Amino acid sequence: MRGFGRFVVATLSGLVIAVGVHIAAILASPYLAEQDAFAKVQSTLTADKAQIIAPAGGENTWLPRPDPAVAVATCAFDLRNGPMRITAQTGSLPLSFSFHKETGGVFFAVTDRAAVRGELEIVAMTARQLDEARAAEDENDPSRDVRIVAPELQGFVIVRVVAPAPSLRPQAEDLAKAVSCTAEQDG
Amino acid sequence: MQTEALLTNAPAAASMRPPSRPSLSVSIRRVPTVLLVVYTLLLGLGLGLGSAYWAVNGDPPFGSLRLGPWKAWPKLGAPEADPYMRAIIAQRSDVPLATGEGLGFTASMDNDGRPLDSACSYTLGPVAPIARVWTLTLYDQAGRLPATTLGRKSFTSAEVLRDTQDRFSIALSREAQPGNWLQLPSGGPFTIALRLYDPPGAGAANLEKSDFPVIQRLECGT
Repeated sequence: MRGFGRFVVATLSGLVIAVGVHIAAILASPYLAEQDAFAKVQSTLTADKAQIIAPAGGENTWLPRPDPAVAVATCAFDLRNGPMRITAQTGSLPLSFSFHKETGGVFFAVTDRAAVRGELEIVAMTARQLDEARAAEDENDPSRDVRIVAPELQGFVIVRVVAPAPSLRPQAEDLAKAVSCTAEQDG
Repeated sequence: MQTEALLTNAPAAASMRPPSRPSLSVSIRRVPTVLLVVYTLLLGLGLGLGSAYWAVNGDPPFGSLRLGPWKAWPKLGAPEADPYMRAIIAQRSDVPLATGEGLGFTASMDNDGRPLDSACSYTLGPVAPIARVWTLTLYDQAGRLPATTLGRKSFTSAEVLRDTQDRFSIALSREAQPGNWLQLPSGGPFTIALRLYDPPGAGAANLEKSDFPVIQRLECGT
């Protein structure tokens, strides 16, 4: 009976350890994942224009469950190179930006309803870069940039352009490819 | 017989041989302790990693929104996504629709709770939630777009034909149907994704079951 009691204690300890291991594995997996979206968009870091990762039609993409009516483009950013300015010329097709952290998770999203005079422009920066930009600003001529603070230094922007009809797909792709994302050196 | 007695009833066997008692009792106590510690650690690692692997390859366990057969995880594209959602996004190398950008629903069952099977035919309609654009896409079990002879894999809100009351009906079947028709893949289960792009209001807050298309099974072939 004593041996059985020890076995029960050992099993219960094992279950407690299992809970800990489970939690640790779940929390760590976004940081350890080597095949996540962030890893796959790293090649776009140096490009000035958004790169198509899922053309409209849903073919030739690593994105799971692609929507054939949507062209998806991306820009990776690294705020150590300075704030990133992302600009899109909006048209009649629905366009949206979503900003993703390196470890997965969205921190900001905006659609072309927020565009001003056919242009949607967002500047992503760190909290420190925001302070510097504010300090350097002319009080009489404040910047009109829409600034968002990124919680992590690295991440990526996803541009989605919806083509409501197949004939609009080339136009959607052109719109997505025309999005520019440039690091601002003045920082 | 002697060895059998030793295995099944070690203390009794030991009492028959007094000189060897101390070493035997020590070895009995020590070996199981080591074994128990190893067992505990293996159990912890095995169960912990196994359950984490299982959880990461499934659907997010918390925060789902069910409206009839349609299911969504509104927090998947929000900053407050829980650790399971983050782990699952990383594992799938997925980029979910962000809150404010849109919301994606999937259905793997019809309105009566039966799994969607491409051997059957279905109708889908007559309404869909208000959004700037919605798209309705078929996927096979592995999440790929199905290969069909028709080539059409999805409908958008702009493409679908409607009646005078602005209602629509999409036929899902293998054989050609008049009106809005999506061809089902040649076999196996399938899923339907309904994506709402730029819906009004705060994400999923105002959605109700009656806003969603009803998936009705008509008949099943062999």
